[in-house]
Amino acid sequence: MPTETPDQHPHFKRVLGRIPPNDFVGRSVELQEIVSLAPDSARRRGLLVLSAPASGVTELLRQAYDKLFAQRGEATPIYFSWSHSVDTVLNSARQFLHAFLSQFIAHRRGEPRLVNSPLPVHELAELAIPADAGWIQKLIGNYERARGDENALVRLCLSAPQQAAAHGSRTLILFDDMHAIDELKGDVDLRIESARLSVANAGTQFVYAGLRRRLLDVLNGESSAHRLDNFGTLHVDGLNMRNARILIERLAFSLHVPLSDESRDLLAQQFSGNPLLLSLYLQAAHNKSIELETYLDCQRLYVDELLGGRLHRRLNVVLENIAPAVSLRRGLLRALHESSLTSVTKTPAEAWRKKLDLDPGEFDNLMTRLHAYELASYTATFLEITACAVWRDYLRANYRLQISAEPRALVVAETLTETLKRAPQTMARQYRRESALGLRELLARFDHQRVPASLFHFEKFTSLYLGLQPEEVVATLDAESELLRLPQVIHTAAGGSFHAPMRQVSDEERCAVAHGFDTNGYTDAGEVVWVAAEIESKVEAGRAITEVWCERLKLLAQACGFRRVRFWLVAPEGFTAEAGELLTRREVLSSNRRQLEMLTVRLSPAGAADKAAETSAAPANEFEMVIPMGGDTELIAAQAVEQIARRLNFQPEAINQIKTALIEACINATEHSLSPDRKIYQRFRIEDDKLVIIVSSRGVGVPTPLSAVSNGEGSESAKGRRGWGLKLIRALMDEVEFERVDDGTRLRMAKHLRP
Amino acid sequence: MTLPSVSPVRSARIGNVAVIYASDYLNRFNGERLERECRLRLGEGCRALVVDFRHTDLVNSIGVSMLRGVIDVAEKAGARLIFADVNGQAAQLFELLGLMRDVALAPNEQAALTLLAESETTTTADTTPHSD
Repeated sequence: MPTETPDQHPHFKRVLGRIPPNDFVGRSVELQEIVSLAPDSARRRGLLVLSAPASGVTELLRQAYDKLFAQRGEATPIYFSWSHSVDTVLNSARQFLHAFLSQFIAHRRGEPRLVNSPLPVHELAELAIPADAGWIQKLIGNYERARGDENALVRLCLSAPQQAAAHGSRTLILFDDMHAIDELKGDVDLRIESARLSVANAGTQFVYAGLRRRLLDVLNGESSAHRLDNFGTLHVDGLNMRNARILIERLAFSLHVPLSDESRDLLAQQFSGNPLLLSLYLQAAHNKSIELETYLDCQRLYVDELLGGRLHRRLNVVLENIAPAVSLRRGLLRALHESSLTSVTKTPAEAWRKKLDLDPGEFDNLMTRLHAYELASYTATFLEITACAVWRDYLRANYRLQISAEPRALVVAETLTETLKRAPQTMARQYRRESALGLRELLARFDHQRVPASLFHFEKFTSLYLGLQPEEVVATLDAESELLRLPQVIHTAAGGSFHAPMRQVSDEERCAVAHGFDTNGYTDAGEVVWVAAEIESKVEAGRAITEVWCERLKLLAQACGFRRVRFWLVAPEGFTAEAGELLTRREVLSSNRRQLEMLTVRLSPAGAADKAAETSAAPANEFEMVIPMGGDTELIAAQAVEQIARRLNFQPEAINQIKTALIEACINATEHSLSPDRKIYQRFRIEDDKLVIIVSSRGVGVPTPLSAVSNGEGSESAKGRRGWGLKLIRALMDEVEFERVDDGTRLRMAKHLRP
Repeated sequence: MTLPSVSPVRSARIGNVAVIYASDYLNRFNGERLERECRLRLGEGCRALVVDFRHTDLVNSIGVSMLRGVIDVAEKAGARLIFADVNGQAAQLFELLGLMRDVALAPNEQAALTLLAESETTTTADTTPHSD
């Protein structure tokens, strides 16, 4: 048989895959893990794929199938989903046999069209290649004879891979939705049969995929744990934000949905990188010919979909799986919604049982399903609602419609209003997350390494290195004799996970607790806990805020009963002299962003940053420029605007004023936004009697109000420069105004031409 | 793309006076270097500082805030401080941001040195003990 690859034969690219391989992003490692099972040389017997709900694992298996199908010559891939559409074990087993035969024959013949063949099994058997025809005919003969004996029939259907292996044909069975076998009705326990299937099949490999909170229970429930020996484990969660953005861009491009960067980022965040929900949403945009250029566009469609579109149907199906009976579903909807309104995160399970009026067995089943779909975390004693934002919106809106019977127009209007108000906050949270200095990751890399002690002592670092070139600093650090031996960190988590009050005062990413050992060997004496936090401050952190943070960290350590603790505070711009004295006195380690960057370089190889550029056409009297933030790039902007201003015959003094104002605007954009793309967008427009300059940046734009700076307020803050930039711009230009846009701030300023 | 070059901080010592030459763009980094140089010179025993801005084309607000640091350092050390050869743009910024209250200006380095010398003579004369 010829060896073919998808790239050589584009028509083979999609057999079961629902999206083009190029649009399937963020899963290359997982895909490779599955495909690598196929070769004869593969050492693993199979793979357990533990997936988060709606994380796109079905498409992962389908893409793997297509890749395996195109490879040929290796194991024959068989994809089968134990989906909810078939409600008995017997029917599911029959469907498996049909799927097995159609896919096996299709692969052996090299004819993908046969994969979804509707032909009955005896007709399919006639299409088998001669080498397989004998055993397939015999299998079908046995199948016909076993009718009426459910047990025998189920076993026979499931034995198909074994029959193939016995005749020299290896198969790789991709079982999807394994958790669903628990819901199938019948006298035969499919858990036992599936266990038998994997034990008995020496020439077959298995991929068992299902909800991560159910899969192992289903697979281990009734059988020896040894049958999963030599199985690998693959965890599939939602996409990370970077991949989610790429997915959205690719889907929007394929579906011809106009999309702005701001909308893309909002969607990635709002759907928590969930590929299935994102795909449904963008399909809806395509079908309804909706452009996704603004937050309003996005949220209109979102609310529309949540209340009656594809998203609604998808979430409804899940809710129906959890609570099939209408009355139970209504009760659950009410209980879930009411729980989401309280600030108490954990509720006694017994209170829920009484609220739902269920007997213990029914209640346990319901809660197990709720837990499996991750709408809640359920233990024997407590229930904690963990629904994501999309689910919370769905539950709230449907509660209002179905239980409270509120007018639909009111629910739509208020849901839209709420989601719109939430959008900038959602993005702000993400930007804050992305701009965090990554303390947890850094702590995890400590691993007994020795680093210059000045990297943990801001005052000392400043006195030694202020004003030195980066290369000089690095060289001098290398020569530093005082070294700090870092502990080996064995566990890190957010401070809020240890001490709930920390969540009220700090983002999850900005406070970390690391357990470790600072001596060789794991002894009581060497046990140490590092408690680290990042102080959010645009300027040097003063004594008051530093003291507050010292107390917070101390309280956390006391509440958790940590015995040996090291406190470490990080402020991006460092600390004032008074704060430095306090830190020294309290023996708190201190660093600024620069120290942290140097520490990061010393503890790990440098990473690579993504680069992207975009250009667009502009009228002849309009110039556009995008500069990266930092690195004195504002000088480039200043040089450009000087050339433009000269064309308009501005006087030298005015040109200087324009340049200075632009420099300040760039600095302001850099300093006062947690920009996701680290770019400053500038537009210079020549109007009749003036030069208009628009400087915008994405991110959390919270400039100091002009009214405040015009009064000179803030000029006495650290180093006295808070608000100076805006004060200058106002003084130097003739018109200055801020405009809030969906995703950031835009500063418009103009200088009038004077004869 | 080549970024605009940033010239280093140079300085010279004339007796007890240190002359520090600000670079072409006074931003945070160059401001820090300037402040460092001033601290260094004062640490060496200089009693007066002249910051020469002859090469400085552009100044930003962060750079100005660093000059505030230089003023504080000089004040704490009891040293005289003069800014020399400040161009129109920088002067306007210093004025707008309130620096002019705390520092003397001179048209150029020589004028600054003369000013300091005159001031030194006056101070010496003032503090010479009178004999009855």
